Amino acid sequence: MVPTPYYIALSALLLTIGSVGVLTRRSAIMVFLSVELMLNAANLAIVAFARQWSARGVESALSGQAAVFIILAIAAAEVAVGLGILVAIFRNRVSTDVDELSEVRL
Amino acid sequence: MIGFIILAAVMLAGALGVVTLRQPVHAALSLVLTLLALAVTYVTLEAHFLAVIQVIVYAGAIMVLFLFVIMLLNVQGQQPPPHLSWMRPLAYLAALLAAVGIAITAFVDRSPLPSSGQVAALQGGSAEQVGTLLFSHYVLAFQLVGVLLLTGIVGAVSLAQRGNPAADEDERARSAADGAAPDRELSHG
Repeated sequence: MVPTPYYIALSALLLTIGSVGVLTRRSAIMVFLSVELMLNAANLAIVAFARQWSARGVESALSGQAAVFIILAIAAAEVAVGLGILVAIFRNRVSTDVDELSEVRL
Repeated sequence: MIGFIILAAVMLAGALGVVTLRQPVHAALSLVLTLLALAVTYVTLEAHFLAVIQVIVYAGAIMVLFLFVIMLLNVQGQQPPPHLSWMRPLAYLAALLAAVGIAITAFVDRSPLPSSGQVAALQGGSAEQVGTLLFSHYVLAFQLVGVLLLTGIVGAVSLAQRGNPAADEDERARSAADGAAPDRELSHG
C-alpha cells in the first residue's frame, strides 16, 4: 500500500502545475482547463485522506468520498456556466484573451 | 509502488501538456489523459464508485463540453505575450516552491493522522456505501447540489441564448407590442 504522503505530494504537484497554467495561459478556455486540473488535484488529496482516516469507522471513511462526489457535481455546474459565459463573451468580443477582457477591473 | 509511480508519471505528463501545449485541442486531450490516470488512482485508493464517476462525468461529459466549445470558438494556438513576459518564469518558480513546500509538509508533519490499517472500513467505496451515506448523513448537501445544478442549467441556457443587444431590443419591443406578460422574457432569456 502506497503511503498517503506520496498521494499528497502528487496532488500538490498537480495543483501547482494547474496554478502555473492559470497564471501563464492567455486564452480563457486554457485557464478553465487549468482550473479543472486544480480541482482534480484537490479531489485526489481528499480521497487519499479518506483512505487514511478509514480506521475511524465506515461513516468517517466514506465522508471524503461523498465530498468528492459533491465536488464533481459542482465542477460540472461550474463548467456549464463558465463555458456559457465564454461563448457569450466570444460573441461580443470575438476574442477570449484574458489580457484584453479588462473592463471590470478597478 | 511501481504502479503508483507509473500513474504519477502519466498524470504529471498530462498536466504539463495542459500547461505547455499550444493547440487548445491538444491540451484538452492531454487533460483527458490526466483524468483517466486519476480514475485509475481512485481505484488504487479503494474508491471504485468515484473512479467510474470520474470517467463518466469528467473524462466524458465535461471534456466533451470543453472540446465542443473549443471547436465552436475556433481558438487557435496563442501568440507569445507582448507584455508581462516576466510572469512566466515567476509563475514557474512560485509553483515549484509551493509544490516543494506542500510535499515536504506532507512527508514531515504527519503526526495527527491515524494509522490506515483498516482499509476494509471503506468497503471498496462502492456505489451502495457512498449512496447510503449521501442519502442519510449528507442528504441536505445532496439536495443543495441538485438546486445548484438546476441553477447552473438555467444560467447556461440564458447565457447561451442571449443574442446581440439589438436583437434583444427588437424582441422586447415585439413582445411589448404583443401585450405579452413581462415574465415571457424569462423563457426567451
